[in-house]
Amino acid sequence: MLAWLSNKTAPLSHIVQTFNQTALPAGGVRAADCPFLVIDLELTGLNAKQDHIVSLGWLPVRQHEIVLAEARHYLVHSPVSVGQSAVFHGLHDRDFDKALDLAEVLTELLQQYAGYIFVAHHCQLDCRFLEVASQRIFGKAAKFSFIDTLNIELYRLQKQGIVMKKDALRLPQCLSRHKLPQSNQHHALADAYSCALLLLSQLKHSHADITLADLQLQSR
Amino acid sequence: MEVAEVTTFLAGTTPFDQLDHAQLASLAGNISVYYCQNGETVQLSAERLMIVRTGIFALYSDQQTLLTKLEEGDFYGYQLLLTGLSDNDKLVCEEDGLVYWLSADAFHQLRYQYKNIDIFFQRLFSRRLHQYKAQQQNSRFTLKISDIVQARKIAISGEHSVQQAAALMTEKRVSSLLVEQHERLVGIITDRDLRSRVLAADLPAQTAVKQVMTAKPHTIDKHAYLFEAVQLMSRHNVHHLPVLDKQQSYSMITATDIIRSQQDHPVYLIGEIHRQTSVDGLEHCASQVSSLALTLGKQQVPAHEAGHIITTITDALTQRLITLAQLELGPPPCVFSWLAFGSQGRMDQSLNADQDNALLLEKEPVGEVAAYFAALADFVCQGLARCGIILCPGNIMASNSALRLSLKGWSGQFAKWVTSPTPEALLKSSIFFDLRVIEGSKGLFNALQQDILARTTDNALFLYHLAQTALQRTAPLSFLRNFILEHDGKQKKGLDLKKRGISLITDIVRVYALSAGISEINTRQRLVQLANKGIMDSKDTQNLSDAFDVLAQLRWDKHQHDLIQGHDVSNLLDPNVLSGLQRHQLKDSLTVINDAQSSLKHRFCRDL
Repeated sequence: MLAWLSNKTAPLSHIVQTFNQTALPAGGVRAADCPFLVIDLELTGLNAKQDHIVSLGWLPVRQHEIVLAEARHYLVHSPVSVGQSAVFHGLHDRDFDKALDLAEVLTELLQQYAGYIFVAHHCQLDCRFLEVASQRIFGKAAKFSFIDTLNIELYRLQKQGIVMKKDALRLPQCLSRHKLPQSNQHHALADAYSCALLLLSQLKHSHADITLADLQLQSR
Repeated sequence: MEVAEVTTFLAGTTPFDQLDHAQLASLAGNISVYYCQNGETVQLSAERLMIVRTGIFALYSDQQTLLTKLEEGDFYGYQLLLTGLSDNDKLVCEEDGLVYWLSADAFHQLRYQYKNIDIFFQRLFSRRLHQYKAQQQNSRFTLKISDIVQARKIAISGEHSVQQAAALMTEKRVSSLLVEQHERLVGIITDRDLRSRVLAADLPAQTAVKQVMTAKPHTIDKHAYLFEAVQLMSRHNVHHLPVLDKQQSYSMITATDIIRSQQDHPVYLIGEIHRQTSVDGLEHCASQVSSLALTLGKQQVPAHEAGHIITTITDALTQRLITLAQLELGPPPCVFSWLAFGSQGRMDQSLNADQDNALLLEKEPVGEVAAYFAALADFVCQGLARCGIILCPGNIMASNSALRLSLKGWSGQFAKWVTSPTPEALLKSSIFFDLRVIEGSKGLFNALQQDILARTTDNALFLYHLAQTALQRTAPLSFLRNFILEHDGKQKKGLDLKKRGISLITDIVRVYALSAGISEINTRQRLVQLANKGIMDSKDTQNLSDAFDVLAQLRWDKHQHDLIQGHDVSNLLDPNVLSGLQRHQLKDSLTVINDAQSSLKHRFCRDL
């Protein structure tokens, strides 16, 4: 599986290249028929250039179903101490014995989920960190097609003319609005699961034949 | 990699709650999560089991009748997975929710690995209530040997003399000895053997025990049931059985031990009651009722039988009190019948029942007659109160002068209820229609009962109102998430098994029984009669009878639990303490009540 380790002559960038070249579903496809990968990252800070990825969690959604068999949660070696961010995600340096290199994790992600529409809650940050990481590791930035459950929620609420309170778009508030079970926050897989539940609910409460293009429009 | 939210839910859901963490995580790995929207029909398949995580789902038969509602922690699709046969039921989402789909492979592997999980789904599959009940009865067992016999090994070797054996028996105050050779049981010797095989045969005192003992005696294991010992003794006409523990001598059980163990049997208690000459004595007898109840519970006596036994004791107390009252007051001035209403009338009394009684008199209650029976009723009601059967808060007691009437008076009273029924009056009076004679003239009572039944049979107006009364309360099978909980005065939360369960069935069955002139009073017997006479569908009566048993059993178990804990006996059940299976049974029973109420409405409340 980790062919890139032994085959050093092949440019690492081919992993990113294959990923970028894999066709995504066309905009006219029904959103229900698209493969989604819901992902969440825990970070040491907010600056993609300076800060690091601490852990990743993801699970795919296909045909309206979250496939738990493919749920993944990885801690990654960080070049610096986890430090202050431990306050948020509860991970400490001592937890990283079982951690993998980010290169391994990203390889699995890019090889397994090419052609998937990526999903996150407030996705810009996750997207930016993944791009920077792939640039650093493979010498080429992966191009992700993300949709954002936060923006979809914002669109829905505005359309219903609902006055939003502060924090109304945070993940826990969205979960309770959709009457979905709450999870332990700031755990990458738990948050990815919550985000996936929110996506399922948002899809079901949209027009039954909503296309991917419509969804991308709402998510902007 | 596990999603904690999913494994946590599975860990709290019967039957997965018996799996350890690693097993739960691997189970979760075979699950897909689906969001289902209100109005959506769930697509069932032979490939997987549905587990309801959130939301409400209504199950309809192919005739579009609502069968049940599925909520958090419920399952569907096991019938298809277990049998490969599809029913034509249809499952519709009524409130948005999440569904876990567990793959068929994982489901079958789980059943294969864990017998209990397999049994759980097999039981769910036999959804019919009486199949649940059959399971319940299988698990019933009576007292075991080890419950009444203590480790007490009194043994002698076969080489000792009969004289030494007799000395040991005298010293230990026993009537028999185990005979052992090299730590192994080889025989027994009893005082009867000493008499018939030694003295009568004129053998010397130095005769060896092994010469006169019973070799290779019948034995019983300490874990065997008591009734097995009884059977062995009567089959082989012996009175002593060595008790073994892992093939080693443990003790001896005698016929006397068995008789002594049955002494808090109701027969003994009732015999005791009839021997008492004072209210103090009766009070003492009655104080043994709770220990009797615990014994009945330990012997796994079913709730309806226990209710019958407790009623019989109340009857005996009442009868004895009436006799004692007559000893004090002199002979009665006229013939009378002592009547019991409500649960005592129906013979399904529970431990926390209050008094519901009255007097039916041959003569009008005036003058000397009135004074005599006022005193008698007072004596009996106060006496019952001292015996723990509390005074009726609604004053439905013979000590209330409005309830000491002649046949003409009672007949007039019933006529008023029957011919001009009002819901308020019927709510209070419906228990009067479950009446039974406890003491006194049966003829007088029969005359009253025939009079009542003649008034009620096919009396559409009365039955309409009585049915309306029976429909006022509903079974709390909430169309919402959980059972509706009630508060009693002490702010304890719970489901009132009597008010919101047992009484509803009693009320429904009473309407049918009175409509058809059935003189049975006991709810189960009424149901049998209703089915025999074709008044009700036999499947419906079976379902109601099963639901009644389930609820009565839950209440009986709850009362036992209260007694053991030293609490006041209460009908409030916290549904959270139930096992998954009991919860399903309870829900099924409440569903049966709902169905029976709609049938009742349809039958008696249509044309008016």
